[in-house]
Amino acid sequence: MTNLSVEAIAQVEQPLPGAPDNWRRFFSFSTDHKVIGIQYLVTAFFFFLVGGLLAMIMRGELITPESDLVDRAVYNAMFTMHGTIMLFLWTFPALLGLSNYLVPLMIGAQDMAFPRLNAVAFWMVPVFGFILMASFFVPGGPAQSGWWAYPPVSLQNPTGNLITGQTLWLLAVAISGVASIMGAVNFVTTIARMRAPGMTWFRMPVFVWTVLAAQIIQLFGLPALTAGAVMLLLDITAGTSFFDPAKGGDPILFQHFFWFYSHPAVYVIILPIFGVFSEIFPVYARKPLFGYKVVAISSLIITGLSGVVWVHHMFASGTPGWMRMLFMATTMLISVPTGIKVFAWVATIWGGKLRLNTPMLFALGGLTMFVFAGVTGIMLAAVPFDIHVNNTYFVVGHFHYVIYGAVVMGMYAALYHWFPKMTGRMYSEGLGKLHFALTFLGTNLNFFPMHPLGLMGMPRRVASYDPEFAFWNVIASLGGFLLGISTLPFLLNFIGSWVQGEKAPKNPWRAIGLEWLISSPPSAENFEELPIVIAEPYGYGKDEPLVANPDALEVAHESR
Amino acid sequence: MNLRLIVSIGTAAIALTLISLWMGQQSYGWFPPQASAESILVDQLFSFLVALGTFIFLGVIGVIVYAVLFQQAGKYDTSDGPPIEGNVPLEIIWTAIPFALVIWIAFYSYQIYDQMSILGPMEHVHKTGIAMAAPAKDVAPADEGSGAIAPIEVHARQWVWEFRYPDRNVTSTELHLPNNQRVKLVLQSEDVLHGFFVPAFRIKQDIIPGRAIDFEFTPIREGRYRLRDSQYSGTYFAAMQADVVVDSPEAYEQWLTAAAAQPPTVAYNRAFDEYRLAQNPISPGWKIVEPAAPPLVNVSTSPSSNPPSGEVSNP
Amino acid sequence: MNPAELDPTLNAQGEISQPLETHAAHSAHSAHSAHTHDDAGNRMFGFIVFLLSESVIFLSFFVGYVVYKTSALEWLPPGVTGLEIREPAINTVVLVSSSFVIYIAERFLHNKNLWGFRAFWLLTAIMGSYFLYGQAVEWSGLPFGFTDGVFGGSFYLLTGFHGLHVLTGVLLQLIMLGRSFIPGNYDKGEFGVAATSLFWHFVDVIWILLFVLIYVWK
Repeated sequence: MTNLSVEAIAQVEQPLPGAPDNWRRFFSFSTDHKVIGIQYLVTAFFFFLVGGLLAMIMRGELITPESDLVDRAVYNAMFTMHGTIMLFLWTFPALLGLSNYLVPLMIGAQDMAFPRLNAVAFWMVPVFGFILMASFFVPGGPAQSGWWAYPPVSLQNPTGNLITGQTLWLLAVAISGVASIMGAVNFVTTIARMRAPGMTWFRMPVFVWTVLAAQIIQLFGLPALTAGAVMLLLDITAGTSFFDPAKGGDPILFQHFFWFYSHPAVYVIILPIFGVFSEIFPVYARKPLFGYKVVAISSLIITGLSGVVWVHHMFASGTPGWMRMLFMATTMLISVPTGIKVFAWVATIWGGKLRLNTPMLFALGGLTMFVFAGVTGIMLAAVPFDIHVNNTYFVVGHFHYVIYGAVVMGMYAALYHWFPKMTGRMYSEGLGKLHFALTFLGTNLNFFPMHPLGLMGMPRRVASYDPEFAFWNVIASLGGFLLGISTLPFLLNFIGSWVQGEKAPKNPWRAIGLEWLISSPPSAENFEELPIVIAEPYGYGKDEPLVANPDALEVAHESR
Repeated sequence: MNLRLIVSIGTAAIALTLISLWMGQQSYGWFPPQASAESILVDQLFSFLVALGTFIFLGVIGVIVYAVLFQQAGKYDTSDGPPIEGNVPLEIIWTAIPFALVIWIAFYSYQIYDQMSILGPMEHVHKTGIAMAAPAKDVAPADEGSGAIAPIEVHARQWVWEFRYPDRNVTSTELHLPNNQRVKLVLQSEDVLHGFFVPAFRIKQDIIPGRAIDFEFTPIREGRYRLRDSQYSGTYFAAMQADVVVDSPEAYEQWLTAAAAQPPTVAYNRAFDEYRLAQNPISPGWKIVEPAAPPLVNVSTSPSSNPPSGEVSNP
Repeated sequence: MNPAELDPTLNAQGEISQPLETHAAHSAHSAHSAHTHDDAGNRMFGFIVFLLSESVIFLSFFVGYVVYKTSALEWLPPGVTGLEIREPAINTVVLVSSSFVIYIAERFLHNKNLWGFRAFWLLTAIMGSYFLYGQAVEWSGLPFGFTDGVFGGSFYLLTGFHGLHVLTGVLLQLIMLGRSFIPGNYDKGEFGVAATSLFWHFVDVIWILLFVLIYVWK
């Protein structure tokens, strides 16, 4: 530090605010979608570590049957905050970050439709993140009613205060909802109206399709959650009785509101990861995406079906038999478009020229875990079986295979794949592979044991359990700690490579896509001249140009 | 060459089928003992799903593993694979087969659920409203001829299970059931959502405050099993467990008679005990909902069946 | 096909292809002036998407209301027999007619008759304010409160949430009225007026549904 001369400092400060290698812009109210994308990703990863820390404390508690590490109330706060943080502060913002960075580049736009709205939506994330963290310090502690916040437990207020962990939780979720709606309006408008010349719907990369499908879910789903949250908040603070059975309210109605959004929310999370898989497999298998149009359309079918399956979270709740049967049928159906995608990816890989570097390893690992989760998902859709495992660790195992196995692994795949584009530097392949090995092992060690535990009848959300469950819990806990360790090579790799990695060329993976036609990292305006798209995506092995004006996209001195 | 392909695919399919069937058989061992008529049905369904799931999982993953092992590009091979963009017949097949499969699963599941018929008519909600803390007055009388036992009331509150046998005037914190008879329960909660879950019976039902939910099943195996709260109910959720004892009909009669003769005593309750002890290493002292006082019952569970965490109190 | 015809946004982007130096100079002052091509088309599209999403909140409240009304054992609080329909009906007529008034205002603006626009625009705002006043009068005379069972809760929630929207609409109208006095305000299009008008129609339609559900449906 002391060796820095004045001249060097002057050189550091020289780049203009919009220049790609000025790190200060990441701490500013930038309206550049690429800056916002990275802001989202870094913020989200910070909260991923926080949520992971909470998970490791929980696994520490669960390594013995007794409730002996933390107080039961603390344990309940841990799983509530773990779920809330991982969903609202990790997966949602991380995927928004990825989408923010990639969508305008992929459709050949210079920015999002509403850059300022975009920035406002991002800056709400640290705000509600702070509110959520602050709830640890209010009397009575943070919310302890699970991330579902089912009344009447969430209505119980032993402290008698107005500002409790639960009200702060509701406030945070509400701000998150507002930010998500802003983001959704922005993405839908951008994709519908900002596409480059020639970028027809069926020339859009599948990632863009999946982002569109996911954001449409936000638009129709989030308002229902908002309605439920408003009513819950009024019950807690204003004394209404919407969900309070002691005063004639109906707690089951809240469950409907909650799951009408929160089940589709799973698709908000998984759909962009489907998009990531669809982008990565063709690149590293050197083959076009198999059945591109069907894969693209199946995303929208999933969006449609996702709105009519929510009751499968309530098969053991206060739902009559006919409702259970009806929603069993719809839930079964949603596996069909999902299956189409899986088969399409396998067919894409098949007969290709596979290159197993880190993004491909993560994508293949993620796909494997997703197929497993899909199988247990169909099992859960079958009502008689679900009755047994509902609210047990089987469900926890299932959705962690989806959310850690598929989403986090897919997220890592995406981060490695686009790291050179985002930072202009190459990452270390060795550390990347170590990261993959630890993550894959840790995920399976941590989450596989939850399936036998659930079958044996261990309920979820317990701070203590009968000794018969100890064996599998010890293994799960060890896996959990391994997952914690697995983030270290990742952090080392990304921070180190960003600072002093090898400079990345425009297109290190020989990938086909608009984002690979411009420099790494792209200039503030992305494209000097808008690309004129003349081909479908994924033209591997076809030797046809993607755009009519590849040389005009950037001014000469900017390209490397 | 085509023959070789067919033979190898055929061999793989047969091997997969055998493995899947074997897994399906194995799956029976992953559960607690089958202690109710319903558990036999559920385990059958699960075995079917495991076999099917194994086939799909190994089929898909097998293809991926084969590709990863044998279809990697050479180190300096920068060529592309064949530009195959799709195959309509193939895509129709892999849409139609899963579609047919899930319809089959749904239909099979429907049949099983229909056979189980564990849940009373949920549409006719008995709303007990404000007076829900009072014991339900008019429980529907057993109308299934002679031999059917009267409904047993299950009362859940934070964090106590209490069972009432209204016709015999018995209360207990241990649920006794007669073997090989259709048992009817009336599930009621006095504060928040709870869940009635006996893993050995493979049945579960959330208990909704303000409603009395009719629930029935048939125990078929004598023994002592565990009832757990399955719907998160607050601080001592995990401690809210009780024992379920399936007796022979004679032993059940004896138990009821003996219980009715016992004077009510204060039951053991784990949540209440732990709340009084309240010494965990890391406790911020957050104010929580206080556990309900242990009920006065004719028969109480022994503390050893559900011992409190932390320092065990010496009587 | 001329790519510029594909999308109106492209016209605006034509001006972007200028030398980099100019860009850098621009961005040094105002953050990314090159990106501020939020043309009215995008905004209107985004606004419609937002309204569609917003309507789901109302839909959720409506569904909740229907569920409560059809399943509750004691729907009306003790001592309450029903809602008076006469005053709210008058209110409804005022609010619904204001939708036509705002349309006339928009036509005046379209024909560049600014004073005609302002007159009818102000009339809309007055009618909206009358609606709010009428609702306040009704609220103050009701024999039940917000915490009187699910009926009281959902009645005040629905009418109150809608009332907030009416208030928002009136405020927007006043802002747009003020901005109509800025010279050259409509040179870049009439997005603000069009959006406010659309919002007003939306609020009206919601009210009609709400009126039928709460006052007409017994």
